[in-house]
Amino acid sequence: MTTINREATPEGDNIKGPHQLHSDLHEIWGNPRGLKALTIVNHTTLGLRFMVTGMVFFLLGGILAMLVRTQLALPDQDFMSPDIYNQVTTMHGTVMMFLFAIPMLEGLAIYMIPKMIGARDLVCPRLTSLGYWCYLFGGIILSFSLVLEMAPDSGWFMYTPLSSSEYSPGLGSDFWLLGITFVEISALSAGVELVVSILRTRTQGMALHKMPLFAWYILAMALMIVVGFPPLILGSILLELERAVGMPFFEVAGGGDPILWQHLFWLFGHPEVYIIFLPAAGIVSTLIPVFAGRPIVGYGWVVAAIIITSFISFGLWVHHMFTVGIPQLAQAFFSAASMLVAVPTAIQVFVWLATLWLGKPKMKLPMLWVMGFLIIFVCGGLTGVMLALVPFNWQVHDTHFVVAHMHYVLVGGMFFPLIAGLYYWLPLFSGRMPSESLGKWGFWLTFLGFNGTFLIMHWTGLLGMPRRVYSYETGMGWDIFNLLSSMSSFIMSAGIVMVLLDIALHFRFGKPAKHNPWNAYSLEWANSMPPSAYNFVSLPTIETRHPLWDDPDLPRTMAAGQHSLAIATHGRREMWGTDPLTGKVREIIHLPGNSWWPLFAAMALAVVCISLLTRLYPLALIGVIVAALFLLRWSWENGAHPKAAPDAEVAPGDPPLHSRTMDGPGLWAMSITLLANGSFFLSYLFGWFYLWTVSPEWRMPETSPLSLVGLTLAGVALTAGAAILEKLVRGLRQRKDAGLAVGMYCISALGVVQVAITLWVLLSANLAVTETSHDAIILVGLMYALLHGGLGAVLALLQGLRVGYGYVGAHAPFEPAVVAQWWRYNVVTFWILVGALAVLPRVIGS
Amino acid sequence: MGLLLAGCAGDKSILDPAGQAARDVMIIWWVMLSFGTVVFMAVVALWLYTFKRKEVTRTPAEERRIARRWIIGGGILLPVASITALLAFGVPTGQRLLPLPLGEPPEVIEVIGHQWWWEVRYPGAEGGEVVTSNQLIMPAGEPVDFHVTGADVIHAFWVPRLGGKIDMVPGRVNIIRLEADEPAVFGAQCAEFCGAQHTQMQLYVEAVERDEYNAWLAARQTDELTSLAVNDQQHEPAREAFMTHCASCHRVAGLSSPGLSSGLSTAEVGPDLSDLGSRTSLGAGVMAMEEGAVSHWLQHHQALKPGNKMPPHDDIERATLESLGAWLETLTP
Amino acid sequence: MATTMQRLQLTHPLHFVIGLTLWCIWFVTVYGGHAVACAVVPPAPEQGVFTLVNALLLVVSLVAIAILAALTLGCYRMAKHHQGRRRFNARVSAGLYLFSTLGVVFAAMPILGIPPCL
Repeated sequence: MTTINREATPEGDNIKGPHQLHSDLHEIWGNPRGLKALTIVNHTTLGLRFMVTGMVFFLLGGILAMLVRTQLALPDQDFMSPDIYNQVTTMHGTVMMFLFAIPMLEGLAIYMIPKMIGARDLVCPRLTSLGYWCYLFGGIILSFSLVLEMAPDSGWFMYTPLSSSEYSPGLGSDFWLLGITFVEISALSAGVELVVSILRTRTQGMALHKMPLFAWYILAMALMIVVGFPPLILGSILLELERAVGMPFFEVAGGGDPILWQHLFWLFGHPEVYIIFLPAAGIVSTLIPVFAGRPIVGYGWVVAAIIITSFISFGLWVHHMFTVGIPQLAQAFFSAASMLVAVPTAIQVFVWLATLWLGKPKMKLPMLWVMGFLIIFVCGGLTGVMLALVPFNWQVHDTHFVVAHMHYVLVGGMFFPLIAGLYYWLPLFSGRMPSESLGKWGFWLTFLGFNGTFLIMHWTGLLGMPRRVYSYETGMGWDIFNLLSSMSSFIMSAGIVMVLLDIALHFRFGKPAKHNPWNAYSLEWANSMPPSAYNFVSLPTIETRHPLWDDPDLPRTMAAGQHSLAIATHGRREMWGTDPLTGKVREIIHLPGNSWWPLFAAMALAVVCISLLTRLYPLALIGVIVAALFLLRWSWENGAHPKAAPDAEVAPGDPPLHSRTMDGPGLWAMSITLLANGSFFLSYLFGWFYLWTVSPEWRMPETSPLSLVGLTLAGVALTAGAAILEKLVRGLRQRKDAGLAVGMYCISALGVVQVAITLWVLLSANLAVTETSHDAIILVGLMYALLHGGLGAVLALLQGLRVGYGYVGAHAPFEPAVVAQWWRYNVVTFWILVGALAVLPRVIGS
Repeated sequence: MGLLLAGCAGDKSILDPAGQAARDVMIIWWVMLSFGTVVFMAVVALWLYTFKRKEVTRTPAEERRIARRWIIGGGILLPVASITALLAFGVPTGQRLLPLPLGEPPEVIEVIGHQWWWEVRYPGAEGGEVVTSNQLIMPAGEPVDFHVTGADVIHAFWVPRLGGKIDMVPGRVNIIRLEADEPAVFGAQCAEFCGAQHTQMQLYVEAVERDEYNAWLAARQTDELTSLAVNDQQHEPAREAFMTHCASCHRVAGLSSPGLSSGLSTAEVGPDLSDLGSRTSLGAGVMAMEEGAVSHWLQHHQALKPGNKMPPHDDIERATLESLGAWLETLTP
Repeated sequence: MATTMQRLQLTHPLHFVIGLTLWCIWFVTVYGGHAVACAVVPPAPEQGVFTLVNALLLVVSLVAIAILAALTLGCYRMAKHHQGRRRFNARVSAGLYLFSTLGVVFAAMPILGIPPCL
């Protein structure tokens, strides 16, 4: 293994000393102030922005919860009208899930991951920024519906037909569908870049099996977001099309099926629970060794448990649908799979127990929250196993028992570890310690209040109280339990206020923290407190799971610039690109600096979202085009562009810049994006075959309306383009770029041919998209092919231009390889589409 | 009809079963709760104990052995044993709710969910189909197959004391088999969120002896109901008002049948009123049926059940509504 | 057999996900195949468990179990021949293959006892 280590040598750049180095690095990485602060792409700043915004939405969701408990405190209350109550419950669930839990944990991961793996930033900084703005704008748009009293009111899972235009004629459902899809862009972009960052930017020597467990958890969470969110995005698009245009995907009379929505929703919705739980469990797995004063036992067991959880959670979605009338054998599969997930969870609980058993645990404030997590989560896990049993599920489904279970799992499994983690990392955020006494009060009030609210609620559910009722009659035996729940919920609120107060006050009044105050083992504590914008002055070689325990002097030597990449004269933001398995250094990744484009693109998307809401479709179209232009302009500033890395000079002995190789992080980001895209495509195919086989009033014409000749011609053009591109990339691999520009223009032209023919096939099919779901879903499939083909053509065209500008060529051969992935994906999906939509119906018939 | 409780009558507790299916689930619940409590207590106690324990020095090999014992014992054997037992226990219970073929075909009752009321049909009644709303009378001591569907959005049919729930999905018919041990009154309520008045979608369920059930059905044959509706001359103005204001949505046997005549879809019609006077409550459980209740409901229904699909009757004179109410209350077969 | 196992490079961390991916594919095949079978050729309820649908599902499950069990054994053996990173990878993969195998066994058990389309 070649270790690259340019320690302080007399000729080195850091002869100026660590202070000079620090200010040089600050010059490159530091955050601008004033209006330009909107351009910041740094992960530390954006991670904090995510978390602070998440907390604001948490307060909103909390206030909504208190309104609900106020209404239910006594029987026959009319504190809120039924209409308002339904808006409040729907928004409570939506805000907590989409605007608090996921963005909050993403924010924590965005903040922590580079610091833990010894990197200086996430690998796609501008994507972090785009994600934040999409989250903020989407969240504001969605919350604004409350102010207008037009909030969604069909429940946070938006079952159709209740959420259809017929039974929810207002804008409420549109706010939900459009706002949530907007926020999901944020989740997906964070998911993609976290995966790539963890796999490709760990500091040198950090092999996969030496990675901090938290990084394993976040890797699993990010991949689950990438695979799990697209089904809901598809569902939202279909439902919005049904509402706005009248395409009957979920309407029985038009050949649709409302159950399809439930499948798409829970295909996302169940993994979502584990997307929330895994990072929280990651916090627990990080804290327990620190407070037990010994390494975690069974690292490999935990890794296996994480992987099992992330897979099995995709096989459970139907357990939310046990009452919709699915054959019992199918239910039994899902029942068994749901129970299987108890195994990895139990493995983790007992790994934590064994670690404490073999260590010397200390009950500090963060540990108190971990204990709270354990008690609540084990209880929620046990009721979860009960709910997996079909006959029991049939009884308590949609009662307050499920409400109680869900809060035990989500509050216990996410909120308690989150607060434990926040308390643990507070000294890193601020350089100060929280107050133990206020913190303890906060914990006990929250803990007791929580159990008072929700433990009792199990019983209310068993007494038959359904969920989502705005009131209830006296005489059912529910009164006293609801009153106790409501009173306890206010105790819990007081506890949470105290915790937030403690956190807010500590920034000003907290005692200054000493370095590494908890005697932790992982690299984030080698940062200065609070951290600098570039995290580390020099990047160390890490070959142990507990770097700070094995070398307590490491933070000092890192800050003194005694490790790698302690150089700033080139003016680039640099860090290592390493091998995903072994952690060997492969290239230097140079990151883009602050940029307006993410903000502008998010603003254009916000215009799209608002104009779709207000049904100003021409404006929406303009918004889409403007957003696409911004995004393409953003992608222009890459590679050998003057704003990126115009010269490729590196210090002698260092590996090349990633844009000068054939395998940079962008290639990986494209693969992960295509994984998300593939999940979307598979969801679409699922929808097509589901409607075909199961939909009660499915109508299929005798002969397929799609011209097979046309589609074949389009596919041939597409395949030819992709083949030329592959050949060009093979040439670039051997540093040959003859005819590159012309080749790219040809490829682009072939893309245009494919799009034109596909468009002709679509137009000549005369689809009656508002009459049958068959025609509507074919339209969606062809639109998918058209958009992908169009984007492929544009990307190839831009590559041709970039060759002309000298940004791409034998000296910078990276980008065509990225575009080639897109084309390869297009070829595969296009032929599958042709097979599924045009060939199979001809072979099987209706 | 015996027991008539105010408003929505009857208990909805899962823990007070009145049929075998619900009883099985209750037993499963208590077993799971006991077992779960033991596991929970043990895990939490072990965790807390680690903070109190005296320190012991061990060799790495000993540590590995202890850790493996915890992980394999607690992390694998415990959950695997528990879920295997649970599945072995649970699957046979689930099969009892399946509409498996019986020697003698069971009674079939169709229940259709509307926003926000229940349509109940007895297709197997001797002498022709019987229709009623917001009340479900079933024979006790024999299995009954409920064929359920939704007319507009998804609802769920659930009689907690008899057994599990099943969704009422538009375009599909789901079947659930339930059996009441003996005559009794049960509470029931829509269990799938179905919009503004999901809360006020209650169903009165009563199990009666077989002959009483047969008599109840016989009294609701169209001929019987028609003679009931048209016999009394003093209610003639009320009948006329009904035909003017109500008949396009509501059926009264012998007078109107909106599904056929006015061209409304099944999602748009209102409850069948042919035996309204014999029911225990109005508005799917909003208020108890007593003298003057119908007239009160007709005047104030949008305040009593905000958002319900019946238009407000501000344009109709109060005296008319009162006479309508008085007549409808006489429809007691 | 031995050479096939060598060609599979059982110490590569890709095997962390192959077992569970196979589990997922098996799950989708069984669930989807069952749904299609019930939509196209539902057997009579009187037949109980002894239907062609149950038999086919069982065969698919046995094939999945065989493949996964072989891979479990392969990884387990491979772990003994290596040290450090490769040993870690092979051992975790073996555990994950074992879980996937037992996962198929566990989730397939209902095929033996429940009639298919009710």
